[in-house]
Amino acid sequence: MLPFSIQLVSGLPIAEQVIFAVKKAVVAGQMKPGQPFPSVRLISQELKINPNTAHKIVAALVAEGILITTPAVGSVVAEQAAGDRQQRAELLGTDLERVVVEAKKLGLSLEEVQAGLTAHWKKLGRK
Amino acid sequence: MNIIETRNLTQRYWTKASLHDLWSAGHNPSAGWTTKVLFDITLSVPHGSFYALVGANGAGKTTTLKVLMNLLRPSGGVAQVLGVDTVRLGEKEFAQIGYVSESQQLPKWMTVQQFLDYCRPFYPTWDRELEAKLLSRFGLPMSRKLDELSRGTLTKVSLLSSLAYRPKLLVLDEPFGGLDPVARDDVTQGLLESVQQGETTVLISSHDIEEVERLADRVALIEEGRVKFSEPTESLLGRFRRIEVAQEEMWLANSCPTGWINWDSGAGRTSFIDSAYNRESTEALCQKHFPFATVQIQPMTLREIFITLARKANPSLQRRIS
Repeated sequence: MLPFSIQLVSGLPIAEQVIFAVKKAVVAGQMKPGQPFPSVRLISQELKINPNTAHKIVAALVAEGILITTPAVGSVVAEQAAGDRQQRAELLGTDLERVVVEAKKLGLSLEEVQAGLTAHWKKLGRK
Repeated sequence: MNIIETRNLTQRYWTKASLHDLWSAGHNPSAGWTTKVLFDITLSVPHGSFYALVGANGAGKTTTLKVLMNLLRPSGGVAQVLGVDTVRLGEKEFAQIGYVSESQQLPKWMTVQQFLDYCRPFYPTWDRELEAKLLSRFGLPMSRKLDELSRGTLTKVSLLSSLAYRPKLLVLDEPFGGLDPVARDDVTQGLLESVQQGETTVLISSHDIEEVERLADRVALIEEGRVKFSEPTESLLGRFRRIEVAQEEMWLANSCPTGWINWDSGAGRTSFIDSAYNRESTEALCQKHFPFATVQIQPMTLREIFITLARKANPSLQRRIS
């Protein structure tokens, strides 16, 4: 069980998908600073991906300052400003773009999309 | 060092020829009596990589692997494994190579236990603990004879007997062939558990493109005995996109930007494939050619990319308009 949610899709580079999922989890507070991060081996086995790819993912996350490697323990989530609201909104960018494209294909207006969004928001619980 | 290196590798098989074949070959004996199956195969498998060979049945994947394992003598060119010419591979090299193939002749009369006991002494690096771990992961029936086992179980036995000594090079010829989803998952897990990242090199030939997409860092497509391309998986997935535009645009088909292929336009829509996708340049080109229409850019799976390339190379495979 990995400490971040991910559903790998065919077609997009795997490393990108995983890095994105980890960033989302950290920004959303799903993973906390100091929390141990799974090893390269575990990531490779859980997601059934090439170990070299798993290695690249961890290296990229360390390079971006999301993780730090400590000698005995391995990688842990680094201290970082819990994602500000703008960062979180940015992470939703791709999903929003997809919704806009689909809406335009269907010939819907911005108001109709917003109405639909509001309806779904209410349906999925109060928050 | 590249773990495997071939340069202009060619392979011919002796075939029975009819008199007609000999006559039409202009009485040239070698043209009549042999069939060329590999043409100029040049490949390099880097150390520590996970390299996949894909291609249609009969394309030449198994032949290539057999040459690399010295089961076939090459007709021409160079083939080297672990720095040694394949025809000179000996005990020392084979102790570091694992080979799993459907066409292997395993001693069918032996039980699983007997077979593992038989293999162990050949490999100085055999790891008993790893053997036990894999045995428990695969759940093998130790006292059953090999010829009583299902295909999936036999593959697991063969794989275990190749993984237990932590080979430097693991060569797998269609390991997922005929395996049910659970067996396939077990094999993938077993493989990932035993492969030492950065130390084990894996060369796999497979039809299973979904598995290849996740596991391989480099893919080579073999078609009719030739290497069509060899590219990192990431770069392949990164440069192909399916693009759909809400606008009919037939005139552009003959003068579209380089890399835009499989143009299809009609019923108010145009779709094509960009084989040289780059976020900035593709978006700029779309903006230039379709300034007012909605453009949808979608990634493609490895399977779709291969079919696109195969169809492009062979016009007779062009998709029939439905």
